[in-house]
Amino acid sequence: MSTSLLVRSSLPRALAHRAALRSVAVQARANSTVSEHKYVAGGPIPKGGPNDAVTFPPPSPTHGSYHWVFERTLAAALVPLTAAAFVTSGTNYPILDGVLGLSLIAHSHIGFDQCIVDYLHPRKFPVLGPATTWALRGATLAATVGIFQFNTNDIGLTELIAKVWTA
Amino acid sequence: MLSHKALGLSTALRQAAFAPRTLRNNALLRNTIARRSVQTKTIPAGPAADAILNQQRIKRPSSPHFTIYQPQLTWIGSIANRVTGVGLSVLLYGFSIAYLVAPGTFDSTHVIEVVRDLPEAVKYAGKFILAAPFSFHAINGLRHLAWDTGHFLTVKGAYVTGYLVLGATAVSSVALTLIK
Repeated sequence: MSTSLLVRSSLPRALAHRAALRSVAVQARANSTVSEHKYVAGGPIPKGGPNDAVTFPPPSPTHGSYHWVFERTLAAALVPLTAAAFVTSGTNYPILDGVLGLSLIAHSHIGFDQCIVDYLHPRKFPVLGPATTWALRGATLAATVGIFQFNTNDIGLTELIAKVWTA
Repeated sequence: MLSHKALGLSTALRQAAFAPRTLRNNALLRNTIARRSVQTKTIPAGPAADAILNQQRIKRPSSPHFTIYQPQLTWIGSIANRVTGVGLSVLLYGFSIAYLVAPGTFDSTHVIEVVRDLPEAVKYAGKFILAAPFSFHAINGLRHLAWDTGHFLTVKGAYVTGYLVLGATAVSSVALTLIK
C-alpha cells in the first residue's frame, strides 16, 4: 500500500525533473561568456577599458636618476658657460661658442621632453604623445645641424646676439 | 521593488498595495505596467558599452579646478619658468632650423640689417621682450638648483626666494635692455 503510494507519488518525478533542469542550467553557465572575466565576490570584473589600474613603466636608471642628474648638471653648467660667452666674443673662442650652442639645444630638448611627458603622456594620448616625441627628436636634430652650420659658416651664436643687441 | 522605485512608480505601487484585495491585482497591473512602463535593453560589458560610456564621459562637465585655484607665487612662478623656457627654446630652434632651411635669408648680415633699420622704440621694446624672460628663467633656474640641493624647501623659503627672484629679474631685465 505504502510502496504503491510512493510509486504513484510525484516526488521522485519532481526530483528527477529538478535534477535535469539543474544540469541544463549548469551546462548553460559553463558555455556562457561570463567565465572569460575574473570572478571576484561581488561580481565579475571586466578587463580592458578606462577602469583598469594604471600600468607603470619598467624601472630604468637611464630614464630615472641618471636623467635627473644629467638635467641638473647641464643646467648648472649653462651658468658659467653663458657668463663666459657674455664676456668674450664668439670669433675669439669658437669652441666655447659651439659648446654653449650644443648645451642650450640639449637643455631645450630636455625641457620640451618634460612638457610632452606632462601634457601629452603616451598613456593618455597613444598616438599624439609618441608622435610629438619623435617630432621633437627630429626638430632637435635639425636645430643642432642648423646651429653647427651657423657657427661654422657664419659669425656664431654669441656674436650674433651681441651684434643684434647693439645694432 | 527597487527597479520600480527607480522608474518613479512608488506612489502607484503604494496605492495598489493598500487597495482592497479584489482590486489589488488589477490596480497593480494597470498602474505599474500600463501607465509608466519603460523599455530597457541589456548591453553586455564590452567595447559597445564602453563606446556609449565614453561618449557620456566626454559630455560630462568636470568641476572647476585649475580655473578657481588662487593665484600664488609658487605655482605662478613655476608655470612662468616653463613658459619662458619654452618661448626662448622655440626662438632658438626656430632660428636654427630657419638658417638650415634658408641660409640666404637668415644669415647674420641680413638679420643685423633688418634689426638696425627698426625704430629705436621698437628696438628697446624688443630687447626688453627678450631680456625679461631670459632673466627670469635664468634666475629662477638658480632657485630650482638650490631646491635640488635641499635648500629653501619650506613655504617661507619658497616665498622669500620667489620675491628675490622677481626683484633680481626686474633689475637684470632693465640692465640688459639698457646695454647699448
